[in-house]
Amino acid sequence: MFELGPIFRALLRQKVGAILIALQIALTLSIMVNAIFMMQQRSSQMARPSGLDEANLFYLSNTVFGQNYNHEAALADDLRLIRGIPGVVNATQINAIPLSGGGWSMGLQHKAGEGENSIGVAVYMVDDHGINTLGLELIAGENFQLTDIEWRPATSVSWPARAIVSQAMAESLYPGAYQSALGKTVYINQNEAVQISGIVKTLQAPWNGWDGVERSMLVPFQMETRNSRYIIRTEPGRRDELMPIIEKALAESDKNRIIRNVTSLEDTREDSYRSHNALNKILLLVIVILTLITAFGIVGLAMFSINRRRRQIGTRRALGATQLQVMRYFMLENFLISTLGVVIGAIAAVGLNIWLVSKFELAPLEPQLLVVGVLALYLVGQLAVFYPARKAAAISPATATRSV
Amino acid sequence: MFAYYLRLAWLSIRQSYGLSLLMVLAIGLGIGAAMTTVTVNYLMSANPIPTKSEQLFYVQLDNWDPHEPANDNGDPPDQLTYRDSTALWAANKAFRQVVQAQMTAVLEPEGKDSLPFQVSGRANSADFFAMFEVPFLFGGSWDRSADESMQQVVVLSQSLNDRLFGGRDSVGEKVKLAGDYYQVVGVIANWQPRPRFYDITTGAFNEVEEVFVPFSLISQQKISRNGNTNCWKPSGEGYEAFLNSECVWTQFWVELRNEQEKQDYLTFLNAYVSEQKKLGRFERPVNNRLSDVMQWMENQQVVAQDASLMMVMSLMFLLVCLLNTIGLLLAKFLSKAPQIGLRQALGASRQDLFTQYLTEAGCIGIAGGLLGLVFAWLGLQGVQALYGDEMKGLAELDLAMVGLAMLLALVSSLLAGLYPTWRACTVQPSQQLKSQ
Amino acid sequence: MLLMKQLGKVFHTGEVSTHALREVDLEVQEGDFVSVTGPSGSGKTTFLNIAGLLEVASSGLFLLDGENVNQQSDSQRSKMRNQKIGFIFQSFNLIPELNLFDNVDVPLRYRGFDAKERKRRIEQQLELVGLASRMKHLPSQLSGGQQQRVAIARALATSPRFLLADEPTGNLDSQMAQSVMALLEDINRQGTTIIMVTHDHGLAQRAKRQILIKDGRVSELTATLHEPLHIVSPSATEHSAKVAGV
Repeated sequence: MFELGPIFRALLRQKVGAILIALQIALTLSIMVNAIFMMQQRSSQMARPSGLDEANLFYLSNTVFGQNYNHEAALADDLRLIRGIPGVVNATQINAIPLSGGGWSMGLQHKAGEGENSIGVAVYMVDDHGINTLGLELIAGENFQLTDIEWRPATSVSWPARAIVSQAMAESLYPGAYQSALGKTVYINQNEAVQISGIVKTLQAPWNGWDGVERSMLVPFQMETRNSRYIIRTEPGRRDELMPIIEKALAESDKNRIIRNVTSLEDTREDSYRSHNALNKILLLVIVILTLITAFGIVGLAMFSINRRRRQIGTRRALGATQLQVMRYFMLENFLISTLGVVIGAIAAVGLNIWLVSKFELAPLEPQLLVVGVLALYLVGQLAVFYPARKAAAISPATATRSV
Repeated sequence: MFAYYLRLAWLSIRQSYGLSLLMVLAIGLGIGAAMTTVTVNYLMSANPIPTKSEQLFYVQLDNWDPHEPANDNGDPPDQLTYRDSTALWAANKAFRQVVQAQMTAVLEPEGKDSLPFQVSGRANSADFFAMFEVPFLFGGSWDRSADESMQQVVVLSQSLNDRLFGGRDSVGEKVKLAGDYYQVVGVIANWQPRPRFYDITTGAFNEVEEVFVPFSLISQQKISRNGNTNCWKPSGEGYEAFLNSECVWTQFWVELRNEQEKQDYLTFLNAYVSEQKKLGRFERPVNNRLSDVMQWMENQQVVAQDASLMMVMSLMFLLVCLLNTIGLLLAKFLSKAPQIGLRQALGASRQDLFTQYLTEAGCIGIAGGLLGLVFAWLGLQGVQALYGDEMKGLAELDLAMVGLAMLLALVSSLLAGLYPTWRACTVQPSQQLKSQ
Repeated sequence: MLLMKQLGKVFHTGEVSTHALREVDLEVQEGDFVSVTGPSGSGKTTFLNIAGLLEVASSGLFLLDGENVNQQSDSQRSKMRNQKIGFIFQSFNLIPELNLFDNVDVPLRYRGFDAKERKRRIEQQLELVGLASRMKHLPSQLSGGQQQRVAIARALATSPRFLLADEPTGNLDSQMAQSVMALLEDINRQGTTIIMVTHDHGLAQRAKRQILIKDGRVSELTATLHEPLHIVSPSATEHSAKVAGV
């Protein structure tokens, strides 16, 4: 009764039902494994640190419409005002917000001139308060001095003499020896020399889907613009309280502009990874429902096959099979079907992955995941068949002598 | 007889309601998941202007870095330089042409209490409205001469007109935009093409802008543009230098009514590029493109990868649900073998039985389809909730989708029912009638 | 009305061929009541299946009402079963999810009668077997004897000229068996030809003719001469309510 041979031969006689279950298991496995893999990838992307003190940062847009406006004086006034508000740690004007999806990028190259290889880098324009405001960790060199800060007119295309780069950018410029980037001169905008005066540990670019997302640089600029952004760091826990206070203070201090889009960096992160989050939730739901459907399918079919074999089971019981042996029969039967399913499924999972990789820019599957998926489906199959198997075991030996 | 089969199906479904519920649920979930993703893909890939999508062409020229292509696949840049698009516009060689870019401005409403606010805008030449079949509520487009003479005129969206003028006909009124007064010449009726095909570069599913002003005003720096700008070499100091640079940030569409006009326009573009080559520009090989609306949507991958990915997953999900249904139907129908044998003894032909059991399968399919619609609706609500504004207008069931859902449910359940039914009908009556 | 000449049936399972019937010669006249007995596995069921057009003979000639059944298609045989043959089974074979009315309705549906005619026949037949008041009951709510009477009502609803009964009393106690047998005799008296397979020799002897099947061969037990029968066309005279007192 607990030999695989007879079970296998019995299965061959009702192969369609077994094949249907096996196919279901196979498809479930291939979807499950690929879905979990996608979820892992997205989760690891989301887990990357931006380098910022996200919990305590927020920013706002300052849109000027007044004519003959003195941008330079207004910026100085605004920053003085913000930095003076109790609870504010620091603030700076900035041209782009990490994670927000909008920003500037430039290329840095080792040699000046057209046609030289350049490495793309996100540019953040900040003043000497930038590093402290963003909460960056300076691992080499030094921060900008007040004297480094240049005023950048709206149509200017020139660049300052110094820049601070992220470690990843330094590594890209000097592979294997990022520290050596310190003090080096590189060229921006093809011809303009910039000296690397500092390196920060982490500072992500504004575009989370960019393969160079870890490459960024800070340049000491204050900008003349009708649309500027201020980013503000508060003492822990005081961000939400200060957001409306600062908005109001700025709006009232100068009627020639609009203060809008007051947003915390945490919200920006959520927005930025909204589709990742959404996809992960959907995939999780798909996996759960799919597993349930397959499990219920196994239960349903097992119940049917047991009902059909009531007399046979009764006869076996009459001939001396114990309840445990009857249960074991059905558990083993499911094990055989599952084996067929996971073998097909493992091949299908790899095939699906290869197709997805070719079609959707995904990475190839990790084999460990396949093993986990196979084990999970064996478990699901055994759990699903447990209830019908117990029902079968409960069939009375007297069934054999009764005509149904 | 069909009514009889329907009643038999109902009795049979009721008799094993647990199993029937499981099948209906499986089909419902499968259809629901498939319809959710198919709807999103269908709306993303919809033709936004079916009447003339084959006559509108997006123009691309390759002015990029001789050392490095603009795109890895060799495509020219996604936008044009200001100098090229204004030159093409001035040449006026197509039936209609529009040069455009995205802009933003602060609008200062009249009245002491009204606070200034930011509006989204588009700087475009006059043909925009006729080319893209923009419906007008009041007034209409400005004309080419307004572009040429840089008139300060504006077309408002319906919602902005409601906000500023309470919805009345505001043609002839003035609005203060970016510190200057603009005369209203038209108000657009509600219009939201999906995808917003005329400018993919700033988001294929963004809202239509609130104000439209002549493109030529950009040269005067009257308004500030805010779309994407890409440069492959330094532009030089000052605004004039920027306008003459190799930076791309404008979009150019032409309307060409037939193949002949298209060929003529391509010839013209080639001639233009050859001319520019003599000036030392366009150092890359000639790579001019005219893409019609759907080609351009395809090129710009308007259908998000995640959406197609989810559709693939959901169709596989549906397949699992159908396999499930096949298995359960098979089990159910085979358990009916004695009844099938009896019916044959009582004079039912195979065809009678086939119809009877396929009817049952179809009923389960329709029930599953109806449930699937509910799930699809729920799914789309979920997608809306999860994705927020990104999915605005892209997660709505329409009549075509409802019909497709029902058809998909019916066809798939009939397909799922086919094999079990066939098996049921090949039952040998004589073997089933003997008491077991 | 039923004529078998040199009829044989062979089952092939793998490499083994089983001769279930061999060279059967049999003629059954209109109005006959034939009982068939024989040991288990002798071929009784095969004989009944072939007679009822549920199976096709492997060799020989089989005429039913003058039609060569072996040459008919599946759907022609379905039609013939529906119009000419009624079946009664040992285990009744009522459809569990249908009530009595709907059970009797089954063959009428395939016959294609209109709703009015079906209703008339169903009520008449259920009346005949004394179950008209329980029309809306499900089979599971009836005793075995009652179920078999419903099965008889169903078999007779299409006014077949030919009734095949496979151990009709096999699942019943002796009292119920007697009443079912009496019902069959009444039906036969009305002109319906009956072939009945049974184990019960007492019952078998009550038939007009007895045949024995052994090892696939048919032999006549009753040497009794055929009494000239008063031929009644069953389609002309419906079974009257007179016999309903069973």
